[in-house]
Amino acid sequence: MTLILRLALALMLLGPGPVLAQDLQPALQAEAERVERASRRHVEEVLETLAANGSPNLQPFLEAWQDKGVVRAEDGLFYYGQREGDVWALTDIDSGAEAGTVDRRAARQLKPNAGVRGVIAAALVQFQLSDPRPGARRAALASLERDPDAALLPALRASIEDEPDPAIRALKTDLERRLTARFGEDPAARIAAIDRLGASVQDRAVLSRILATDRIVAEGGAAPEGAIVAGPSDLDEAERLALLVEAGLAPAPVTRMARDMALTVAITDGMVAGRPVATLESEAARWEAYEALAAGGAARPRPAEAAIAEALASHAVLDIYREADAGVIAAAEAASAAQSARLARHGAVDLGLDALSLASIYFLAAIGLAVTFGVMGVINMAHGEFIMIGAYTGYVVQTIIPDYTLSLIVALPLAFCTAGLAGVALERLVIRHLMHRPLETLLATFGISVALQQIAKNVFGTQARPLTSPDWLAGSWIISDAISISWIRVAIFVLALVFLAAIVALLRRTRLGLEVRAVTQNPGMAASMGIDPGRIGMLTFGLGSGIAGVAGVAIGLYAQVTSEMGAGYIVQSFMTVVVGGVGSVFGTLAGAGLIGGLQKGIEWLNPSNTLAAQTFMILFIIAFIQIRPRGIVPQKGRFAQ
Amino acid sequence: MSALLEVSGVSKSFDGFKAIDGLSFAIGEPEMRAVIGPNGAGKTTFMDLVTGKTRPDSGTIRWGERILDLTRLSESRIAREGIGRKFQKPTVFEDQSVWENLALALRAVRRPLRVLARAGADPERIPALAADVGLKGALDRRAGELSHGQKQWLEIGMLLASEPRLLLVDEPAAGMTPSEREKTTTILREAAKTRAVVVVEHDMEFVRRLNCRVTVLHEGRVLAEGSLDHVTADPQVIDVYLGRG
Amino acid sequence: MTRTPLIRRPDVIAVLSCLAVLTLGATLMAEAGLISTSFVKTLGKTLCLCLAAVAMDLVWGYTGILSLGHMAFFGIGGYAIGMWLMRARTEDVVAAQLAQRPLPPTPAEVDQAAATQIFGVVGSDTFPWMWVFADMLWVQLLAVVLVPGLLALVFGWLAFRSRVTGVYLSILTQAGTLALSLWLFQNDSGLRGNNGLSGLQNIPGLTHVPQSTLSLWFLWASAAALGGFYVLARWTVAARFGSALRAIRDDEARLRFLGYDVEGFKLVVFTGTSMACGVAGALYYPQAGIVNPAEIAPIASIYLAVWVAIGGRGHLWGAILGAAAVSLLSSWFTGGGAPDIDLGVYVIRWTDWWLVLLGLGFVAVTLLAPQGLAGLVLRLARRRPEAPARTLEAARAEPGE
Repeated sequence: MTLILRLALALMLLGPGPVLAQDLQPALQAEAERVERASRRHVEEVLETLAANGSPNLQPFLEAWQDKGVVRAEDGLFYYGQREGDVWALTDIDSGAEAGTVDRRAARQLKPNAGVRGVIAAALVQFQLSDPRPGARRAALASLERDPDAALLPALRASIEDEPDPAIRALKTDLERRLTARFGEDPAARIAAIDRLGASVQDRAVLSRILATDRIVAEGGAAPEGAIVAGPSDLDEAERLALLVEAGLAPAPVTRMARDMALTVAITDGMVAGRPVATLESEAARWEAYEALAAGGAARPRPAEAAIAEALASHAVLDIYREADAGVIAAAEAASAAQSARLARHGAVDLGLDALSLASIYFLAAIGLAVTFGVMGVINMAHGEFIMIGAYTGYVVQTIIPDYTLSLIVALPLAFCTAGLAGVALERLVIRHLMHRPLETLLATFGISVALQQIAKNVFGTQARPLTSPDWLAGSWIISDAISISWIRVAIFVLALVFLAAIVALLRRTRLGLEVRAVTQNPGMAASMGIDPGRIGMLTFGLGSGIAGVAGVAIGLYAQVTSEMGAGYIVQSFMTVVVGGVGSVFGTLAGAGLIGGLQKGIEWLNPSNTLAAQTFMILFIIAFIQIRPRGIVPQKGRFAQ
Repeated sequence: MSALLEVSGVSKSFDGFKAIDGLSFAIGEPEMRAVIGPNGAGKTTFMDLVTGKTRPDSGTIRWGERILDLTRLSESRIAREGIGRKFQKPTVFEDQSVWENLALALRAVRRPLRVLARAGADPERIPALAADVGLKGALDRRAGELSHGQKQWLEIGMLLASEPRLLLVDEPAAGMTPSEREKTTTILREAAKTRAVVVVEHDMEFVRRLNCRVTVLHEGRVLAEGSLDHVTADPQVIDVYLGRG
Repeated sequence: MTRTPLIRRPDVIAVLSCLAVLTLGATLMAEAGLISTSFVKTLGKTLCLCLAAVAMDLVWGYTGILSLGHMAFFGIGGYAIGMWLMRARTEDVVAAQLAQRPLPPTPAEVDQAAATQIFGVVGSDTFPWMWVFADMLWVQLLAVVLVPGLLALVFGWLAFRSRVTGVYLSILTQAGTLALSLWLFQNDSGLRGNNGLSGLQNIPGLTHVPQSTLSLWFLWASAAALGGFYVLARWTVAARFGSALRAIRDDEARLRFLGYDVEGFKLVVFTGTSMACGVAGALYYPQAGIVNPAEIAPIASIYLAVWVAIGGRGHLWGAILGAAAVSLLSSWFTGGGAPDIDLGVYVIRWTDWWLVLLGLGFVAVTLLAPQGLAGLVLRLARRRPEAPARTLEAARAEPGE
């Protein structure tokens, strides 16, 4: 590899300074045979000679050579050759002038093999690192990143200083640090580079390369001289035995398959090793028969258990570092641990954001239910279908108004009105007539829910309908490589905050709110003070259903609109209300936070299994209700029951 | 005579409002006691505390010879220990017949599996009980169809059927005609011959007819105790009743 | 019980004789080729659903606990028997295949091959722990009643103890049911995830009996189970126990002040009915052929409540009426039996609109006829649509000593 180093130095001399216009052809002629029939074995030497010539035409020549664009004519000279039908159009290598055409058979194309092309490419990188075109420099860096080479480190370092583009310069500095960490000239330099490594994917990849291990069978249990042991391997006994057998350090056991094969082959007239085949219906009988076969020499004998145990005991399977320098390993381990800790912190933040957005969705889905449940004491099983109505309203609006931003602005209030009106209708037509029969209300609203779901299915079909978000909501807010949150979720969070503020203001600052709170706390007393509970019930039902409609638009933006989407949220919404405490806005908020956080938390503990996460969450809630039957924020007073 | 029920230093507050404030009360067996007091004096809360519906914040409620602490027992356990309660509003099982109501109340095993296996309960006593409370002809009627006064008596009949040692009766005379009141008085006085009876009442005339010791509650505390004449002569009581009553 | 007047009650006589007529009639018509095997199975399955509905009526109509989880117990019963059906049958099939090999199969090989056959779809080749006894019929038969019973006992104890009642309790049962079905939906639940258990119509050891005969056997078994449970349920709600249940429904606090351990009563009813549902499921799924987690989803239990409500709560036979009417109508409408209605601009296809009709019809029943079909029947019979009042004589004749 010293060759490439020298080559690089030569190129550097050529670099920016005044260039002595040297022709390349003479140098090529000097090595003509070895250029024409380049082999992996000589090509480095050839390149060295060519570089020593110092011609500025070397880079284009190498590129053309690599692309099989060089021919040697009958006169023995090399040209750039362009195949045009049956002839080669030749170009002079040094002057770049056209040199006429020759018959296809009058020139031989240079076809370097893959090995040779690789060497040429590596040499070319050095040119490219200082190429005047920024794109070429970036490409060279990317190529070097993909295929790092210790030999190119000096070239890279040298190219940093004169790099005019600050962005590319930063890339080069980063890459230099990574290459130094891996290939630096002395451990101290490498450790310094390791300590400066950042958190990027590439930097982490460098660390894992440095910390790469090999699995070896240690005869006698001790590691070979000079090897640094990362630790014993985590293999079980069977896997270790397989490795030992492979290394010839333990006798190969007879597998059950081999045994059965041997037995099958040895069947003659329904007998094996003097036993009837029909008796071989247990493991023990088969082994016995096999051992009888082996004793007769018809099969390989089973190795003694003791020999296998002895082999396992006397050899260890170890993971040893490929890296030989203990200081470098220690530095890399420390850096890696720091990286993991940082990743874990960012992961926790990311999880928190996820939980927050899930909680916002639950809050939006449940707050309407909480209001109606609190005021009227009835469970509305059709609440989920109001979410669906809102989402389909958004979808219909989008098919009419093609501008996504405008349609969203229209859809939100329209969804509120549609779902709200549906809620008022439900209250007037059904719920009002089932006063004080909460269980029947639950079932009647379930009937409504079934009917609405099926109507939606009949009208809009069973396939999911998209609700496309405007461009400014597309994509994610990327905070770091481990923390990102989609803008839609941010928007849902904001929407939840707006609704929280609006509802709190409505309940605390308006006459309607006062009456609603009065009915929630003591309906009888409220009625005797001239508040019409029927009117309040209707209004709160409209309000609660309207919010569900808005929640439907929000949910439709990040999930899809189907006739069953409401059903998916209804149980979670109930849970949110029950856990939070009936009739309390802040209780619902707390419930949504708890359930959202819990669900994400459990998913984080067992990320492969969201179904199990939901199961555990529900079990937790059942347990929670044991402890706080009235929720986090219980209703107060003697009449609370 | 040792006390059957002994309430000592019991307090209970709801959201900062002290419904019962260091109340002490004792009753022996047999004895009749009337508890009077203005609205909000804590009469109903007192009954809730004794029957286990509400748990006190502090204080003890001791019961019987074995000196059980009622504050630790469940409502049903307290009832099984022999404390029966009649609510202010007549609460009977309206959807069931008078017979079924009485049968439910009969003193007998209460454990679900024993009940399922038809253990206990002597239905022969039911007609006699019904006769006692004047419902002999109404055994097959749905309780919901009875008049207000009949429901009150059915409830008293259910109380008697469970043969409690202590009867807590909340405003039995409310909404009754004078002749019905007369009858109620007779039933209660009869009951008090063999057991302890606590009557919470608003109506002084009714209390006078019961002719028993009177405890006056005010703001969750015992204001006065003694014969009706004694307590009505107490200036504090007069102040409370005239000033606020 | 030497003398039981229970059997002379008109509703008991009516139910038992209807069941007898149905099974005999179905048998004769099936033998004569007038009705198909699949229709016999539909009848048998309907009887199982009726059994679950009677249990639901006990727990909701009488005791007032609107459980939205009883079909989960039904499903568990199906899973419990399905494990045996599937394992025993697969082992038979696999053993027959392995017998073709030169060496006779070992038990371990049969086990392994059966496990691969059953669990290959969820990427496993060993039996999960809960299948340890799946090859023993009696264990799985015990599981049919014990697993639902135990689950109901634990859940009910937790819920009743903390005085969760009314809609809260309904929501809690619904959540518990959802948790169970989500858990079953996982591939590593040990019960084949969303594939469920299948091929349950093949009864191991009875492969030589044609399905047409088997379906009749199951019809008889289902009818016997329903009839037996009806008598048991009628006996349960007679006398003081039933009176206590209705008292819990109407005013449980009052009953507590009479000294009754309300939670204990609820627990007995909740657990007992869960076991009955397990039995119903164990009879249902061999006729259906497949059980999967979707069958356990909360919606199934809500439908059960709907059947009971349509049939009329508080009358055990009303539950049978509701379950039979709605589930048979449902299979008629969704099976394409009902003629489409052409409105000129739009054709109403009942396969699409049946659920709308059911949902709205149910709302109408709740609003206009809270007593359900039973109420209508009683009104037609010129009787008061309410719990039958008891005469002194009848009560004395009750075996209540």
